[in-house]
Amino acid sequence: MKVRVSRGTLLKYALTYSIALSLFYVGVRFLQSRAWFLGVFFICSAGILIYLYTFHKKVPAKYLVPGVLFLVLFQIYPSFYSGYVAFTNDSNGHEISKTQAISTIIENSKVPITNAGPVTFRAAIENSSKKLFLIFEYPKDSWWVGNSSSLEQLQVSQIVKSSDSSIEKVHGFRLLNSNETEAVSGDLGDIQVKLKSGLVLQAQDLQTLQVSKPSLVYFPAKDELVNVESGVRYHPNNNGQMVSQAGEALYPGWKTTVGWRNFTSIIHNADIRHPLLKVLAWTFLNAIILIALSFLMGLCLALIFNSPLLYSRRIYRTIFIVPMAIPSVLSVLVWSGLFTAQTGVIDRIFHISTPWLTDSLWARIAVLIVELWVTFPYMFLICTGAIQAIPNEIIEAAEIDGASPLKVFGLIKLPLVMRTVAPLLVASGAMALNNFGVIYLLTGGGPTFPNTNGNAGATDILISYTYKLAFNSQEGSNYGLASALSILNFILIGILSVYGLRRMKTMEGVN
Amino acid sequence: MKTLSFPNARRRKIWFRKVLWRHLLGVVVAGFALFPLVWMISAAFDVTGQISTQQLIPLHRGLANFTQLFSNKEKPFFTWVRNSMVVAICAAAMQTIIGALAAYSLSRHRFRGRKLTLTTILIVQMFPQLLAATTLFLIINTFGKTFVFLGLGHQLPLILIFGGAALGVNTWMLKGFFDTIPSEIDEAATIDGAGHFLIFTRIIVPLAVPVFVVISLLSFIGILNEYLITSVILGLDGKNMTVAVGLQQFIYGQYGKNWGPFTAGALLATIPVLALFMFLQKFLVSGLVSGSTKG
Repeated sequence: MKVRVSRGTLLKYALTYSIALSLFYVGVRFLQSRAWFLGVFFICSAGILIYLYTFHKKVPAKYLVPGVLFLVLFQIYPSFYSGYVAFTNDSNGHEISKTQAISTIIENSKVPITNAGPVTFRAAIENSSKKLFLIFEYPKDSWWVGNSSSLEQLQVSQIVKSSDSSIEKVHGFRLLNSNETEAVSGDLGDIQVKLKSGLVLQAQDLQTLQVSKPSLVYFPAKDELVNVESGVRYHPNNNGQMVSQAGEALYPGWKTTVGWRNFTSIIHNADIRHPLLKVLAWTFLNAIILIALSFLMGLCLALIFNSPLLYSRRIYRTIFIVPMAIPSVLSVLVWSGLFTAQTGVIDRIFHISTPWLTDSLWARIAVLIVELWVTFPYMFLICTGAIQAIPNEIIEAAEIDGASPLKVFGLIKLPLVMRTVAPLLVASGAMALNNFGVIYLLTGGGPTFPNTNGNAGATDILISYTYKLAFNSQEGSNYGLASALSILNFILIGILSVYGLRRMKTMEGVN
Repeated sequence: MKTLSFPNARRRKIWFRKVLWRHLLGVVVAGFALFPLVWMISAAFDVTGQISTQQLIPLHRGLANFTQLFSNKEKPFFTWVRNSMVVAICAAAMQTIIGALAAYSLSRHRFRGRKLTLTTILIVQMFPQLLAATTLFLIINTFGKTFVFLGLGHQLPLILIFGGAALGVNTWMLKGFFDTIPSEIDEAATIDGAGHFLIFTRIIVPLAVPVFVVISLLSFIGILNEYLITSVILGLDGKNMTVAVGLQQFIYGQYGKNWGPFTAGALLATIPVLALFMFLQKFLVSGLVSGSTKG
């Protein structure tokens, strides 16, 4: 057999290998920076691409793999990662690792040593590295040059002293005069020199250093912090915090896994449970009312404006779908202006004064109106399409048999339309459960419930409440709890999607 | 004459009974549908820029809001437009292409795991990406530590995130449409010696142009409408924002503040999308339904 290599084939190989090579490179760089999952993922992707597009096998996989790889990276991996965060105490005050937390605690426990006497220093720039150093004498007759990252003892031969025993020159360094020192005072303040004895020296003004000492010492073998003065011992508790026997906790804590605590706190902690139940109720109520209203409106409009008697039905259809064509972020913001109480356009048109957006009930009505405005065109379109797809013969046959218009609608049109539209309704229901944009931009979830912990409001749905807990909370962000709520949301949608899937299967089957 | 006037009168009677009320209802619904758009236009040309004094036909008309919008250096409108276009066009193209590739193999090939793939895609489709916004933020943050151009505040990761959602967004609809293309055509092509890729590019793709138009249009608008992930990834730095997130800055906090420039910008951002939508709307009805019926 003659092997013929066309230009297309060459292009295919060139493309495959260059993409695979860059993925491999990206993967290696991620491994180097210790992003293990991402590193492994990219390297495996490169391998899969080369394998698939080199051999003439697995044709379906060739088409599926690009989508699947993206799906894994940007949808499945983030979901599982949320799952992991839900089992941690990740929140404000628990964002860093244990090592970082302990060094911060030790850092914060420093107390100044008063009997050390004033330690004077000179700021200096090292000639070779151009970095800023402090040169000082502590204790007497031992000279040091150091900054936060390095510390060296100076030999007497390196120092040239003036007559009043202050230093005049140091070999290898350029001493800064008082003006220059003042110019770098910001950098000076950041420098902490740590001596072997555990003492820390830090500039307190432009001439003297303060000597201080951490009062806590960490013993890695026993995993305990000991206060050297009082002798109090601190041990880690199960919430990523060092705690003494008396119950005194040291801050900050660190991120650690806490098992099911985020989930159980949803049930046991009344401050979380009460607002959450209200939020959940509104989430469902909002979705159900919205889907029912918008489907009803869409179906009726589709039936009414599909009449052949109406010559201008095209024009109406064009106007009705305008809301679909306006970027909804912008239109919702316009609505929010129109809903302004008293001075807003709506109140002025109808000569009313309605506490839109500030009263729970009215805010909910406003949210529903705007959501209906956003969604009815879609329902109208799919119902129109479904009605037009019904063969005319069926309806004519029914009419010849003497069926009334009501019967034609109830027994023929509606079942056929439902057959088409039901799966789309279930999908819309899932969308309505997570209608973040409208609610966040229109009411921000408000008005907030009085006397509740957190900031849940009357129009908050699960996703917006979750977002508030994660990013916008007055009590500090709680990523762990927020992720647990996300998981709850995942489960709710999962139930709905299984329901929708079974419905679709019974209706037409996956072929 | 009598014989001619009789059908005329009858027609008029039918018109009153069956058509008039439809027109009346149509006007009411049209009023609802156009309500915010009309007030957006009105406010954009109202130089007073106040919600409280706004009239349907503004008393003081002018282009002050537009000049104010264009001259604001901290809120660069045209940069936002460019950002939005780059993100939405690239990601919509990516979604359509990736979705079409997957849909082709799911529609035309029979292989082990096909049903599982279809079911998985259907389930994934139910879970919006914004549920994992926090973790997407963390992941892109990690990207940025190694490759700056893939990090927070850049458009490429946002394009990848949206484009990467392709399988969950479009595949079922595309597969439904591909299923309606008779497989006899590609069987004939196979006999003539065409490979699977040739069949895809020369037969399936040209036949599916209407549904591609619908899907890329819906993706495009969906991406323009996205708020949460866009703002989390691009951040609130003036230069990086998209139109939707950027314009919000004009009325952030107190409503009515800078209402004028906001509506002016919103109007300018809406017009091209609206025009595109109207131009392509004939594809929409058929496209939206064809995807779902032939599941």
